[in-house]
Amino acid sequence: MWRSNLIAGIRALQKNRTYAFINIFGLAIGLAACIVLLLYVRYELTYDDWLKDADRTYQVQLIHTDPETGIRTIQQGSEGAAAAPLAKDFPQIEAAVRADSERPVFLRRGEPVFADMLAADPAFFQVISVPFLRGDPRHALDQANSLVMSRSEAIKQFGTDDVIGRTITRIVRGEKVELRVTGVFEDLPRHSHMNFGLVTRINPQDAADCSWGCVNGFVYLKLRPGASPDAITAGLPAWEKRNIPAVNVGGAMVSEGDAFDWRLVNVRDVHLSGATGDDPARPDNDRTTVATFGVVALLILGIAVANFVNLATARAGQRAREVALRKLAGAARAQLIRQFLGESLLIAGLAMLVALALAELSIPYIAAYLGTDLHLAYLGGDGILLPIIGLWLVVGLLGGLYPAFYLTRFQPGAILRSNRSAAEPPGTGRLRAVLVVAQFAVSIGLIICTLVVYAQIQFARSTDAGFRRDGIILVANMDRKQLATQSDAVIAEANRLPGVASAAGTGIWPASGQVLNASFQVPGRAKPITLGWYSVSPQFFDTLGIRLLAGRTLSPDRERDMMRLPLLRPEETRDAQAALVERGTNVVVNRLAAKQLGYDDPQAAIGKTVRVNTFGADMGLMPVTIVGVVEDSRFRSLREAVEPTVFYNGSYYSRLAVHYDSADPEAVRHELERLWKRVAADVPFEADYADAKVAEMYRVDRARGLSFAGFAGLAVAVACLGLFGLAAFTAERRTKEIGIRKVFGASIADIVRLLVWQFTKPVVVANLIAWPVAWWLMRSWLNQFDARIALTPGPFVLAGLIAFAIAIGTVAGHAIRVARTNPIHALRYE
Amino acid sequence: MLSMRELSRVYRTDTVETTALDRIDLDIADGEFVAIMGPSGCGKSTLLNVIGMLDSPSSGSYVFNGGEVAGLPEAKLADIRKKHIGFIFQSFNLIDELSVRENVELALLYHDIPSSERKQRVEAVMDKVGIAHRAKHRPSQLSGGQQQRVAVARAVVGEPKLILADEPTGNLDTQHGEEVMRMLQKLNAEGSTIVMVTHSPAHADYAGRVVNMLDGKVLVERRRAA
Repeated sequence: MWRSNLIAGIRALQKNRTYAFINIFGLAIGLAACIVLLLYVRYELTYDDWLKDADRTYQVQLIHTDPETGIRTIQQGSEGAAAAPLAKDFPQIEAAVRADSERPVFLRRGEPVFADMLAADPAFFQVISVPFLRGDPRHALDQANSLVMSRSEAIKQFGTDDVIGRTITRIVRGEKVELRVTGVFEDLPRHSHMNFGLVTRINPQDAADCSWGCVNGFVYLKLRPGASPDAITAGLPAWEKRNIPAVNVGGAMVSEGDAFDWRLVNVRDVHLSGATGDDPARPDNDRTTVATFGVVALLILGIAVANFVNLATARAGQRAREVALRKLAGAARAQLIRQFLGESLLIAGLAMLVALALAELSIPYIAAYLGTDLHLAYLGGDGILLPIIGLWLVVGLLGGLYPAFYLTRFQPGAILRSNRSAAEPPGTGRLRAVLVVAQFAVSIGLIICTLVVYAQIQFARSTDAGFRRDGIILVANMDRKQLATQSDAVIAEANRLPGVASAAGTGIWPASGQVLNASFQVPGRAKPITLGWYSVSPQFFDTLGIRLLAGRTLSPDRERDMMRLPLLRPEETRDAQAALVERGTNVVVNRLAAKQLGYDDPQAAIGKTVRVNTFGADMGLMPVTIVGVVEDSRFRSLREAVEPTVFYNGSYYSRLAVHYDSADPEAVRHELERLWKRVAADVPFEADYADAKVAEMYRVDRARGLSFAGFAGLAVAVACLGLFGLAAFTAERRTKEIGIRKVFGASIADIVRLLVWQFTKPVVVANLIAWPVAWWLMRSWLNQFDARIALTPGPFVLAGLIAFAIAIGTVAGHAIRVARTNPIHALRYE
Repeated sequence: MLSMRELSRVYRTDTVETTALDRIDLDIADGEFVAIMGPSGCGKSTLLNVIGMLDSPSSGSYVFNGGEVAGLPEAKLADIRKKHIGFIFQSFNLIDELSVRENVELALLYHDIPSSERKQRVEAVMDKVGIAHRAKHRPSQLSGGQQQRVAVARAVVGEPKLILADEPTGNLDTQHGEEVMRMLQKLNAEGSTIVMVTHSPAHADYAGRVVNMLDGKVLVERRRAA
C-alpha cells in the first residue's frame, strides 16, 4: 500500500509540475531563510556561553543619567577604581579584576608596529577562564613584564605556539622593555563581546593615576557559586556612599555616585545589554534587532507553510476522484489521511533538502556580510539535525493535516455520480482567503519596514552632520609622548604640505569613540552640568568646515585663547595649572552647549564666563569665557544624541585632521607619512579617511538593515510564488463560470477585471491590517535614533501599490489566458 | 434571421481531420421554432455553437440578421451574441457562487443598462418563469427543473431575437421536461426565434420544423403541419 501511495504522490507531483515546483521551491526558500535567520538569532543569543563559569562571571557596567534630560547611557567600560572596593565589600565576590585596552608599540624585526593589548590584573585569567594551551593561568600574570597571548597571535609573532619564555620588545616612552611570554590560550571565538590576543599585567601606577571619575577599561567579577548578582546590585547604592568620596566643586559637594550608577551584567548578556563598548570589531547588538530577525524568520516560514496549505486545498478538488476510487476499493479514512500526510511529508522533505543546500550555499556570504562566523553543523553541541527533523515534521504535518482531513471526507458516491472532479471542499475557500490576506499583510508590512529602514540608512549616510566628511584624512597617535611635545610644530608643517588646504589637531573627530567630559559651574545654579571638553587647535573649525554662528573661533595670536600646559615635573605642572586657574581661558562652544548653559540665542552667550573643573577639585575651578558659538556637529552615530561641547586649545590632541584639496589624496597621505617618520620614527603612522570611518560606523547598521530588506524581499517572493500558484488554480476552477460569462457577452477585459479584482480585495484588507502595525513598529525603531526621518505616508502608500502590482502581475497572466479560451471548451470542462 | 450556405466546420489535430459540419445549407426565418435531431456525434451541437457564434465555420457563408458573420473577429461576434442571442444548456451552466437573481442578471451585466432597469427586467422575467420566490437561493438549493427555469430566465432576460437551447430537457424528468418545453413554446408564440437540439422526438414535436442530421450533413427537414 505504501508503494501505491508513494507512486500516487510522486505522479500527482509529476502531473502538475508547476504546482510541484511552486510547492517545493517556495517551501525550500522559506525553510532556508528560516534556518539561516534562526541560526543567526541563536548565534547572537549565545555570545560567551563557551566561557568556563560563564554563569557566575559578570561585567560591571556604568550607567550615566543626564540630570537635565534624564537620558540614560550605559557603557561597558567603568572605573577601574571600583574593582578593589567591590571585592572588599561584597563577600559573594570571589575575584574582581580590571582590564584596560592599550595599543603599545612593539618592535617586530626592528620595525615599530602597534599591537592591540589588554592590561589586566594578575587574577584576570581566574575570572575570565579562557582555556590555556600552555602556561598556568593562575600565575601567568605574576610579573610586571608577563605577556600571555592567543595561539594565533603566537603563530603570527613566532611562527609556533610553543613560545613560553620567548620575549617581545615593547617601546615604553621611548625606551625598550622586554616582555616575556608566560602563557598561550585558545583563540577567543568570534561570538564573544571580548576581543583580545595579548594580555599583560596592568601597571599599578597608571591605575592609581586614574581614580573615580576616570573610566579606564573594564571591570569583571567572578561570584562565588550560588551567589546572587541581584543581592550585590541591591547593595550598590550603599556601597557607593561608603566608597566614593564627595569633592568640592565650586562650593558644591559632588560625588561621582550622584551622576553614575553601576550594574552587574552576566558576560553572556553583555553583547545584547545595550551598553556601548568601544571595539568596532565587536559591534554590540540589541534584543529588539535579534527578536526582529527571529520574527522575520517565523513570518517567512509562516508564508511558506500558508502557500503549502493553500495550494494543497486548492488542488484538493482535483484529487477527489482518486479519493473516491480508493474509498470504493476499500480504503479506510485513516489510511487515506496517512496517505495525504505522507505526501505532504514527502514534499516537505524534498523542500527541506533543497533548503539545506540553499542554506549551506548562502551562509558563508551572509556570515561575512553580517560580520559573524555563522556556520551550519548537523551533529554535535550546536548541531541542527534534530531541530531540522522537528521542523520538517511540523511543516509537513501542518501543511498536510487540513487537506488530508478535508479530502478524505468526500462521499465517493456523490463525486463519481456527478462526474465532477473539481469539487471544492466546503470552507477551504474561506481558509484560503484568510491565508492570502495574512500573506499580503505580512508582505506589505515587510515592504514598509524595508522602505523605512532603507530611508533611515540613506539618511544616516547623507544627512548634514555639521562638518565636512569628504576630503579629510585623520592621522592617529598625536597624543603619543613623542608627538605631544611638538604637536603644534607638526600641525604647522602639515599645513605647508602640498595638496593640504588646512590641518588641525583635535581631541574629537568623526566616528570617534573617545568621550571626554568636564563639569561646569554656571552662575546662579546649584548643581554643575556636564559638557564635552575637547582640545582643538585654532584651525580645527576651518579644517572640518564647522559653521560659526556668533563671535569668533580660537586664534593662535591671543594669549588667553590658549591653555598650554608644559609637560614638566609634577610640581611645575601644578604651578602652571594654578596659574591657568587664576588666569582662565577662552573657549568656543557649540549651539547645544550654549543652550544648556542658558543661552538660546548664540549671540547672547558671547563674552559670558562659566567655571570648569578640569584640574581636579582641589585646584579650584578655572573661569572660561565664551568667545564663539558654532553649529552643532554630529561626530558619532545618529543613534547617539548630539553632544553639548566646549572646545578649548590645550595644545594636546589625539588626532591630526587634514583637509586636502588635491586630486590625489594618496599623495597627500604619503607626504603626511614622510613628515610623521621624520618627527616620530618609532611611532607607526596610522591614517584613515574620515568618510570611510563614518561609513564604517554605519556598516553594521547597514548590513543588518540590508539583510532585513533581503529577507523581507524573500518573504514577498515566496508569497508571490504561492499567489501565482493559487491564481492558476483559481482561474482553472472558475473556467466554467468564465465560459458562462463569455457566452452572455463578457469581453476579455471584463473577465480579466473580474479575476484581478478577486485578488485585489485581499490586498485592500491586508493594507488595512498592515499599515497600523508597521507604523507602530517603525515608530519605535526610529525612536532609537536621535536624528531620524519623519514617518510619512509615502512608504505605506508605496508598499500598498507594490502589493497591488504584485497581485495584478501574478494574476493577470492566468486571467488573460483563461479569458481568451473559447467558452465552448470552458463549458465542456464540467 | 439566418442563412447558411456551404458551411463546413473541420477540426484538425496533428494526425486527424474531423469534419463536424459538411457543407450545410440552412435557412431559419424570424419567429421559427426549429428542432435539430440526430445521433450522438452527428454535429448537432457544433451546428448550434456555430449558429450561436461560439464557434466559427471553417468555410462557407453564414449570414445573420442580414450581415455576413463568417470570419468576423471574436470581439465583433461577442457583441452580436450579447445583443441578439440567448443560450440554454443541458447542464444549466448556472454559476454556483451566485444567487438565482444574480445568475439571471448576469445576462444583462455586460449590456449598458442602468441598474434600476436591470433589476426591473430581472424581477419581471423571474416572475414569468415562476422562479421569483427562489430569487435569493443558490442553484445548488434548487431542483433540476427549477435550475433550468433559471437558465431560461437568464436566456430571455436580454430579450434576444434568437434563443439557442442545447438539449434543454436532457437532465430533467418527464414532468419538468414538459414544463420547460411549454415555456419555450410560449416564448416562441411571443415572437422569439428558437433553435433547439434534442434527442426526444416528443419534445421535437413542439417545434415547427425538425432538421435531422447525420455525419455532419442535414439529412431531412420536416415541417409540422400548421
